[in-house]
Amino acid sequence: MAQGSAIIVIGRRLLQAAPVIVLATFIVFGLLKLLPGDVAVTLAGDNATDERIEEIRRIYGLDRPFLVQYGAWLWKAAHGDLSQSILSGEQVLTSIARCFPHTLLIVAMALTLALIVGIPLGAAAAARPNGLVDRAAMMLASIGIAVPNFWLAMILVSLFALRWNIFPATGATAFSVSPADAINHAILPALALAAGGMAEVARQTRGSLLDVMSSQFVRTLRAKGLKTSTILWRHGLKNVAVNLLTVTGLLFNRLLAATVVVEAVFAIPGMGGLIVHAAIQRDFTVVQGVVFAMVVVVILVNLLTDVLCATVDPRIGR
Amino acid sequence: MTDDRTLGRLTRREAMALASAAGAASLLNAAAFAQGAPKKGGVLKVSANANPSSLDPQTGGAGSDHTMLFPMYDTLVEWDYETLKPKPGLAESWSFTDPQTLVMKIRSGVTFHDGTPLDAEAVKFNLERAKTEQRSNIKADLATVASVEVSGPQQVTLKLSQPDAALPGILSDRAGMMISPAAVKASGNIDRKPVGTGAYQFVSWTDNEKIVVKRYEKYWRANERHLDGIEFAIIPEIATGVRSVVAGQNHVAYSLPARQKAVLKRAAGVKQATGPTVYCQQIYFNWGKPPFNDIRVRKALNHAVDRATFVKATLDGVGEPAHMNLPSSHWAYDAEVARLYPFDPAKARALLKEANVPQGFELDLIGYTDQDSIRREEILIEQLAKVGLKAKFTNGSIAEMSAAFFGKDKKGVGLLSAWTGRPDPSLTYTLMYSKNSYFNAGRADVPADLPDALTATRASENIDARKKAFARVQRIVMENALVCPLAFQFELDALSPKVRGFKPNLLGKPKYEGVWLES
Repeated sequence: MAQGSAIIVIGRRLLQAAPVIVLATFIVFGLLKLLPGDVAVTLAGDNATDERIEEIRRIYGLDRPFLVQYGAWLWKAAHGDLSQSILSGEQVLTSIARCFPHTLLIVAMALTLALIVGIPLGAAAAARPNGLVDRAAMMLASIGIAVPNFWLAMILVSLFALRWNIFPATGATAFSVSPADAINHAILPALALAAGGMAEVARQTRGSLLDVMSSQFVRTLRAKGLKTSTILWRHGLKNVAVNLLTVTGLLFNRLLAATVVVEAVFAIPGMGGLIVHAAIQRDFTVVQGVVFAMVVVVILVNLLTDVLCATVDPRIGR
Repeated sequence: MTDDRTLGRLTRREAMALASAAGAASLLNAAAFAQGAPKKGGVLKVSANANPSSLDPQTGGAGSDHTMLFPMYDTLVEWDYETLKPKPGLAESWSFTDPQTLVMKIRSGVTFHDGTPLDAEAVKFNLERAKTEQRSNIKADLATVASVEVSGPQQVTLKLSQPDAALPGILSDRAGMMISPAAVKASGNIDRKPVGTGAYQFVSWTDNEKIVVKRYEKYWRANERHLDGIEFAIIPEIATGVRSVVAGQNHVAYSLPARQKAVLKRAAGVKQATGPTVYCQQIYFNWGKPPFNDIRVRKALNHAVDRATFVKATLDGVGEPAHMNLPSSHWAYDAEVARLYPFDPAKARALLKEANVPQGFELDLIGYTDQDSIRREEILIEQLAKVGLKAKFTNGSIAEMSAAFFGKDKKGVGLLSAWTGRPDPSLTYTLMYSKNSYFNAGRADVPADLPDALTATRASENIDARKKAFARVQRIVMENALVCPLAFQFELDALSPKVRGFKPNLLGKPKYEGVWLES
């Protein structure tokens, strides 16, 4: 696709993002307000009277109408100010900047693992459909999808951390502080997260490859006398690249959501912990900020996926 | 009370043995005792159960904050670990010159972490801030303090609007934590920049991640403080916190639920510490609503509950049955009151019949969704079914359901929850059993003689007189069956073998005085 049209496409997609962000944050805000109890109860402390809780609502502006509160938040957000946490007083943007790298590291490592293991596994399975390798690989894939990642996480901890002391059981180090230590802390969580992804990538690779391998151009290649493995690795994979890119984009978004549970198991101070804690305490500015950031990330990842797909397969951008 | 954790237990004998051994070690810190002489140095790593609501003791509100506040803030009054009897802290001594005047002598030579000396002016500043600061959550604690006067460089005189012998106890809690006036004046909001007089001074707080404190060199009790610092890693997921201790990343995980006991037993090289606490699991009644507006129904519930079995089933056998809002080791416990409600299903059935409650009557109760709460509910459903009551629980998160029950909505007729306890029992009783208090869910009338009985607990500072006054309050509360106490849960802590000198306290909020690390 031409340079100019690419920019137009990207620009249009970014414009479409605005209503999505507004809608998502509005729905989340509405859900938080629908739930009984609010942050004032937490702020008022253990021996609060009704009057004290009312007073706190007034101090923090929690007694204003729903739309006014949302509007105030949105107005500030539109100006790049995600407000501050009602409970801790920390700027929400600061919290996100601190927590997101932890989550991103685990997700990136899990994604890499899923691709490194999933693609060869899928390709090997597709080489001889219904053969021994195929059956074994697909069985593994089924297990990978079926096993809950928090359970796998706990098993990994009890073996690799508690029994053999190879990896730390909990916590995280910022990548900027010590990359080696950060990766060391992220390996077990990434493994736990990656299992489902590996399986999915393997299945998708296999399925798409089988489609390609039964197409007419492969028949022609075979007729020319090329070996199956050459056809598979050189021509087949190139043709499933678009499929794989799409799966990868979706997988990234799903892993981002799945970290909530895995972060709790490993006590990783990432986005999952941030939003869970905030949602329980009804600290809505933090919840809003995290949702906002996540929506932006998901939109960007989808956009990137589309651009990459268009680059790999010129038919798409037209 | 917004904390529902179930704490675990050893047998009482084991518990006492452990507690006294640990106690002895921290008291005899000079001679070579069983645990050896304390070593200086090392950073204690603690798995903390919750991000603090604030590190300003006056604006914070969660009961889980204290264990992080204690290292940074000394309190005017301190308490005995085993009985919660008040003892001198930053206040060297105090006396009521008349029932409405409390004179406190403030220790000399104590400085805040910013170098400001602790004097009478600083104490006056703190108490007045607690009463007037808009964000202060402890205004009610100091409601009886009419004025604070500086009556000497190191002496304050508190003029009270009514006799209040509970004040020393209150001043061992948030209200007694002294904050540097200079720090408050400089920045106004010290939620994230705490400055106290405690053994450790603040270094950093990363939300939901870590709080770091380091030794304060000019601490007035520097000899009894052995560590270089404490790091609180905030790990709300209890099982994860325990794993961090098993893996050797942290030294301490505290306030663990009873079910973690089995996990700790299996983990090689992890010590357990346990001891009684004032944390009381109970059914709160809304006695303004049927059927609990009928005293006979409330009494019936108290007879219907088999507390011994409840403790066995929900607390792995070694909790303590609760017969009132104080545990048996508390200084104000009354053995007479404890005998009011023996387990007696026949009597419960008779009382229900008398109150015209039909067989199979559905009780609309409120509870929480966590694993331990559900376990407690199952036992209660079973026990109440035996007297012909059908307990139906509506469950939700702690914040949500507590607000629904105590707040405006007035959902349900009873709430299965807990009371975390207070340093002075008069607060416990006033907060739960006053006409307009939040924890009187129906804001319903209390027994006519209760307000006077409550006032009497604050009238004299003599501990025997107070004990008698509390016995009367407890008797009125329990004879009117305003609550159905179930069990006191013990503190259960997981400790690395390196940790020495740690002992649980009756308040159930760990302090790290005298703790040291074996290298």
